[in-house]
Amino acid sequence: MAGDPVDRLNVVIAGVGGQGNVVASDILATALSRAGFRVSVGETFGASQRGGSVMSHVRTARDATPGPLVPKGLVDVVLGFEPLETLRVLTDYGQSRTRVLVNPRPIYPLAVQIGEGTYPDPGALLESLRALAADVLVVEGTELARRAGEVKAQNLAMLGALAGSGWLPIAAETFDAVLADRFGDDLLRVNRAAFRLGIEEASRISRVPASRAG
Amino acid sequence: MSLQALRIPTPGQVVVLSGNEAIARGAMEAGLGYAAAYPGSPSSEILASLAAVSRERGFYAEWSTNEKVAMEGAAAASYAGVRSITIMKADGLNVAMDFMTSLAYAGTRAGMVIVVSDDPGAHSSTKEEDTRYLVRAAHLPVLEAATVDEAKTMVPWAFELSEAIGLPVVLRNVTRIAHARGSVTLGPLTPPTREARFDPNARYLTLSLFHPVLHARIEEARARFETAPFNRYTGPADAARLVVACGPGWTYATEAVELLGAKGEVGVLKLGTTWPLPERLVASHLTHAREVLFLEEVEPFLETEVKSLWAQQTERGPVRFLGKASAHVAGPSGPSIGELTPEIAIKAIAALTGRELEVHGNGFAERAAKLALPDLPPRALAFCAGCPHRASYWAIKSALELDGRKGVVVGDIGCYTLGVMQTGYFTVKTVHAMGSAVGLASGFGKLGLLGFDQPVVAVVGDSTFYHAAIPALVNARYNDSPLLLVVLDNCTTAMTGHQPHPGTGRSAAGDPAPPLPIEAVARGLGLDVDIQDPLRTAEAVESVYRLLQTDGTKVLILRSPCALLPSTKRTHRAVVDPARCVGESCGCNRFCNRVFSCPALVWDGERGCARVDDVLCAGCGVCVDLCPRGAIRLEETAAIAG
Amino acid sequence: MKRGGPADLEARVLSADLCTGCGACLGHCPYLKTLGERVAFVHPCSLTEGRCFAVCPRTSLDPDELDRRVLGTPRLDVFLGSYRRLLWSRSLDADIHGRAQYGGTTTALTAFALESGTVSAAVLTGGGPTSFPQPVVARDRDAVLAAAGTKYSACPTLVPVAGLLRESDEAFAVVGRPCQVAALRNVQANPKNAHRFAAVIGVFCFWALAPSFYRFVAAHGVLTRATKIDIPKEGGVVFSNGRTTTVPLDEIRPHIRPACQTCLDPTAEWADVSVGSTEHDSAWNTLVVRTARGQALVDAAVAAGALETRPYPPDRIPILRAAVAGKKRRVMAAVDEGDPATRYLSVSDDTRAAIMAGGRDVQ
Repeated sequence: MAGDPVDRLNVVIAGVGGQGNVVASDILATALSRAGFRVSVGETFGASQRGGSVMSHVRTARDATPGPLVPKGLVDVVLGFEPLETLRVLTDYGQSRTRVLVNPRPIYPLAVQIGEGTYPDPGALLESLRALAADVLVVEGTELARRAGEVKAQNLAMLGALAGSGWLPIAAETFDAVLADRFGDDLLRVNRAAFRLGIEEASRISRVPASRAG
Repeated sequence: MSLQALRIPTPGQVVVLSGNEAIARGAMEAGLGYAAAYPGSPSSEILASLAAVSRERGFYAEWSTNEKVAMEGAAAASYAGVRSITIMKADGLNVAMDFMTSLAYAGTRAGMVIVVSDDPGAHSSTKEEDTRYLVRAAHLPVLEAATVDEAKTMVPWAFELSEAIGLPVVLRNVTRIAHARGSVTLGPLTPPTREARFDPNARYLTLSLFHPVLHARIEEARARFETAPFNRYTGPADAARLVVACGPGWTYATEAVELLGAKGEVGVLKLGTTWPLPERLVASHLTHAREVLFLEEVEPFLETEVKSLWAQQTERGPVRFLGKASAHVAGPSGPSIGELTPEIAIKAIAALTGRELEVHGNGFAERAAKLALPDLPPRALAFCAGCPHRASYWAIKSALELDGRKGVVVGDIGCYTLGVMQTGYFTVKTVHAMGSAVGLASGFGKLGLLGFDQPVVAVVGDSTFYHAAIPALVNARYNDSPLLLVVLDNCTTAMTGHQPHPGTGRSAAGDPAPPLPIEAVARGLGLDVDIQDPLRTAEAVESVYRLLQTDGTKVLILRSPCALLPSTKRTHRAVVDPARCVGESCGCNRFCNRVFSCPALVWDGERGCARVDDVLCAGCGVCVDLCPRGAIRLEETAAIAG
Repeated sequence: MKRGGPADLEARVLSADLCTGCGACLGHCPYLKTLGERVAFVHPCSLTEGRCFAVCPRTSLDPDELDRRVLGTPRLDVFLGSYRRLLWSRSLDADIHGRAQYGGTTTALTAFALESGTVSAAVLTGGGPTSFPQPVVARDRDAVLAAAGTKYSACPTLVPVAGLLRESDEAFAVVGRPCQVAALRNVQANPKNAHRFAAVIGVFCFWALAPSFYRFVAAHGVLTRATKIDIPKEGGVVFSNGRTTTVPLDEIRPHIRPACQTCLDPTAEWADVSVGSTEHDSAWNTLVVRTARGQALVDAAVAAGALETRPYPPDRIPILRAAVAGKKRRVMAAVDEGDPATRYLSVSDDTRAAIMAGGRDVQ
């Protein structure tokens, strides 16, 4: 898939406030832009940092600048930082050919904490994703980030996995310069390590040859 | 923030910017000399971006104490011949409104742009105000960008317009532009003037004498709007079905028309200048349209303007107007409620054209409906792990219960507005505008004469304290109103993204500034001030309780830095000792996660005890003090980068 | 153990203003807290049963049941409760005389219990008399001496008890008001705790003062400097610190804690020993030895030269009984009137009759 001509691509990054959605969507959009695509990112932040669901819509097109939001039912890829949010976004925005990359580590909503809601069984969550999506890659992004030296870098690990999945119209190397421009030394080391672990993991589990994916 | 992209001098390059960064870049391309703002989502990143590059670009940028002061400063720059910008969210315009209506009469000299960011859907606001009504009340021109790129282009044009008509020009921004990001083609950067000077012969006076001048200036704006590059029609020349759209509504409209395959049938009139209406341009399309649909954010402003214009036409055909007033354009909560979405646009245009769009496709929706899962639990907003506000509210609530006189907590605007919800234990009973907590508390405090015997606690944040709480505090002091003002001082303007304020000792550009501590201000008013760390729960409870027992106006500062500040390094994390946490048999009834409700405290159903999520825990240690079993302890974390 | 939940405790005791402020319900959970001698739920606890209800001396109180369970005998004296010895006593320690009230018996017995190894900790009421006193866990003689002297308000002394029971297995002493002694016996109803209280020393208490008393003190600057308060038989409330200021009792009475008006037990009838004033000779205390454990402690203290006792003057016994009878009869009258504040009491008809009619010597 990498390098295939794609006229339009709609990606939604689904997560919880504080997981680094905005950073991930910005890096993805910048990488796409540098590869010559027109891009548009829609997201809301502000209050959403405080434990709410967070979505970033990353849209790209060769010809025109798309609007900031993906119309429901037209998402191509869901990059999920949290399984419940991934399923929520997939059911809302997905279609039969939607592909999903998900970090299976739950973050419990307040309603669950205070006993006013039940968190779905994690296995059942992943099964539901598989029942709906054309392809599901489960990537332990938080564990990869921990190996990279900072658990909070799961956003970069998951983004790396997306870059290595072969689902993007750009090569994983496109991201190198974007990361280098964006982060200072310490953060770059950790984030780049997480990103690379993500690429490797995606290659491993999707059996896309690493040479092609990254 | 893409500060590097803001700095690129080369014109023609395409970069990805947020709408707010694009506006900042547009101002820099227009030779901006002075920028002033008070933070407010979704507007904050404009001034933050400008401030970050102000020193190297040689212009001035400040975080002002409030929006009125910011606008006044920007007007001063204009009078001295310096192009200026002031930025605020819709709520801030209310604060600045007295000055803005005066400024419209007095007029301006160098170009002045007022950016007001509305928040349709109230993603990070308490209300969905539509700024355009206030701006029309003040008689100032309104521009609305449809894309991030256009937002950048619009700013220099707005400066030119401002100078041409002698009025400030308002750019109405909305969340889906402000916090969107998109490809932007850069223009050349223009340095600011170095010849700031007030003409000794000039006068800028607010007198009713200038009311007719103002009307004439607005007519001049209208004339220029007829040919403005931001108004554009696409579609068949004589389309009977017309969509009039502005802001992000235009991208939703064009995409919906395309998805529905209605390009050959539906015309789209994009308006970037929404008040005063370019009447000739709009009227020219009303001649061929028989059905007109409006797509705009929040209220049917444009819709009403166009209908009014149609009513004035001497020769007019039968036109059916579809929009929010007719409830044809409506989200799940009804017309004018919530933000515009692509789905609303698709539904409205589908109805207009009698077409259908199959979303999802291939039985996806049916499969989704059949998933063997219970309803997915919603994610309510909550204070972050380690947030000092959670501890502060626990202290305030505890002290009030122990006091036993049914004390009233009046709240204010900031992260701590969440005190009205679960993680603030529903402690806060009133929320209005910036600084209103203190004014309300001052009023409650004076009701003793009328039988009122409940203690009153006003809760404001540190930035809010400077913004609008001080005059109310002076009022309370002057009139000797018994109240306890609790300043939840997290050492930053947290809600809007950690902007500095007068107490932080830092300027917008990051330079040292004279710190103006809250305690110094309050003591200067002759008030007793206590300062406590809210993370030390017992002391905080005792302080609130003790102050509730004393007469007069009192101030308590609960000071602990925001857990998300980059400078708040995580040095510890909490760990539950499973041997000491006895779970359901404790008698605490799962207090730490069920009641205290820190997101890092989760219930481990398998082991039947509490557990700390080490990714989320900020190591604040409040749960260590609150656990009745002493089952939680802090341990040091290895230094972590970032 | 009594069964009931936090909602019952809130309805029947806390919001009815019947809390004695003993502190026994505190320290078990994060919901019940105290400040300024007021106990309150800082957040609703949704459990249906709790220790808070079980240990509270005001959710219900059955004197006959406590007599049987704690003392193992039917009541010897309808007014003074059951006892083995009725004595006057005083400390033989000069340090104690300087600080403690009257004969210093409580301080002497507590210090002796610690020093003799009978207990390793003592739960006491510390702090000065003109601001809120605080619970203290004393582990040596100095700490006991520092806490000496009567406090007249309802310190929640028992707050540390839950933690001591939970965190250690040591035996400890408690010095408390009669309501606190009754609460401790409720705590002991849990067999796990039965052996933990090695010395329960009750102090006579005809009423305690409400928090408003400290506002009264604060409003009279001179009183705030007092280091000792006494209510001598000569009348008035005496605040002293070198020089003395006497406040008429009528000015203090409005500050009596409401719960105390319906208390049937001014002499700590279920303590191991109860200690009070003699209302006659300020160098001595009244000492009521009630249990075998109490007897052993007093005997050992006397043998060690820490305490001196003498028989209670026979002519003073009716005076002591009359004071208690007056209080008990006022409360029983309130029971008869159906005062809701007395509903916690389960007094048998026999006991009731005995209080109202018995003890001709105190008529």
